[in-house]
Amino acid sequence: MNRILKAGIAQISARLGDIEYNKTQIIKGLNLGKEKEADIVVFPELSLIGFGSGDIYLDKVEENLEALKSIVEETGKLNIWAIIGYVEKDERGFFYNTAALIGEGEIKGKFAKTQLTNYRLFDEKRYFKPGSNLPVFNTPFGKIGILICEDVWFPEASRALTFRGAEVIFVLSASPFDRGKIDIWDDFLKVRVLDNIIPIVFVNMSGIQDGVTYWGGSAYYSASGKLIKRLKLLEDDFDIIQIDLEEAKRLRRRDIRVREVRREILEEVLKAYEEMSKWM
Amino acid sequence: MDVNIEIYLKEEELKLFKEIIVNSIKSRLESVKASIGIVALSGGVDSSLVAVLSKEAIGDKLLCLIMPEENISPQEDIEHALELVKKFDINYRIIDIKGAVEWFKNRFDEIDFKDKNERLAVANVKPRVRMILNYLYANALNGIVIGTSNKTELLLGYGTKYGDIAVDFYPIGDLYKTQVWQLADYVGIPTEIVRKKPSAGLWVGQTDEEELGHTYYEIDRVLYCLVELELSVRETSKILNISEEAVNDIYRRVVASEHKRKIPIITRLSRMCLDKDWKYPVDRH
Repeated sequence: MNRILKAGIAQISARLGDIEYNKTQIIKGLNLGKEKEADIVVFPELSLIGFGSGDIYLDKVEENLEALKSIVEETGKLNIWAIIGYVEKDERGFFYNTAALIGEGEIKGKFAKTQLTNYRLFDEKRYFKPGSNLPVFNTPFGKIGILICEDVWFPEASRALTFRGAEVIFVLSASPFDRGKIDIWDDFLKVRVLDNIIPIVFVNMSGIQDGVTYWGGSAYYSASGKLIKRLKLLEDDFDIIQIDLEEAKRLRRRDIRVREVRREILEEVLKAYEEMSKWM
Repeated sequence: MDVNIEIYLKEEELKLFKEIIVNSIKSRLESVKASIGIVALSGGVDSSLVAVLSKEAIGDKLLCLIMPEENISPQEDIEHALELVKKFDINYRIIDIKGAVEWFKNRFDEIDFKDKNERLAVANVKPRVRMILNYLYANALNGIVIGTSNKTELLLGYGTKYGDIAVDFYPIGDLYKTQVWQLADYVGIPTEIVRKKPSAGLWVGQTDEEELGHTYYEIDRVLYCLVELELSVRETSKILNISEEAVNDIYRRVVASEHKRKIPIITRLSRMCLDKDWKYPVDRH
């Protein structure tokens, strides 16, 4: 039996701080998804508020939370699921680079980016606290995991989602172009797929902010590690992909990579980490 | 140490880089709602490349200012600039800066041009006069000034403060000179412009490479090691088989010119000092 998840990839160029514009883009993407009978539409990292180092975040968080509410209502009316990147504020007032899973007219779950980028042009720790949880979410069409950008550069996060039974991982990103970047991402995503025998959908931002180009090129890798779909480079794009949620199960049956993971070895990794902490 | 010095762009990178630069020019003008983009066109390879990419990005909103100095700027450069605007159907004006340069020179009675500093001070008046003309046109026509400096020049500080480096943005400021040559070839800039010896045109017979004391090929390889690969002077010298002294000479230029790449230092008194703590995006929507 084939279980197919129809997902819309909404590769949009969010403008930093222009919540109204970004909201309009997101609603357009939701409608496109509805039109093409998608189960879920996925948007890039921080697509509601925009990405980039700028103290502008501090002024715009309330507005982005308000906009999220109206997007949630919209998904209810359209009867569609969505994953949206935005800035969350906790009860103590701290900010998180977050993805909301929205369905049936409500927020079903949230994931906060665990690996904040703070090198070269990145300055996320200036604004955000990192998340420390790696949940998977039950939906009517399958169990899904969400990661945000840098989270997928570390093997642990996608590993944990795999162990928790995720059937697909959506990676929301706002990756700035620099030389060689597209190949590096391609390598990382493929390796995570191959590590875990799990389909991964990479949803990247497009557009330009302060001379930084977000390169788009969103992609879908099947559980076997094949690049099935690549969206346009540099510009906005939208496409529907059909994710086979059974493929991983079929492949894993005859493969030891997930089936034969050993607790002793995982414990050994943790011990090795403690040792590394002493000299690093 | 085994390192890969990949300065040269591959064919698919040239295509992508070109598209990114064109998009960025278009987006800068849109972001500030400018009606026009000004490029100071010297007839050299950098400004020719920026002009051609700008033409593709903004079409007839591009205005090139060709600003020679009579008896100083080589006739060849003026001809190259005219050849380029004709080939790519670019709007342009020619303005001779001789009179303005003379006017400034005559404000300083003690000058006798024997002293090196005095010669340099006068040479720097020229790009500054061009800058004033760029902004005269830009302000009058609701435009912005598109810079033509490349990464090699910006790193070496090989440009005049508040002169040619005073612009609104640098579309090719992340490309080394050798990459500029490649991209210029790729977009079809006439070979004689791409191949001629680079010159800032500050005095008769000047060439960049003679003034800098190294070829651009050598400079770019050194800069690539120091900047992109983050290697030390000693490591760079070893890998490239170039003397430590030569690498150091280039490195010193980079360090000494940092002030040209930053806004002027502000004496910090608050916890939100504008050049140190404050971080706001330029593109506002």
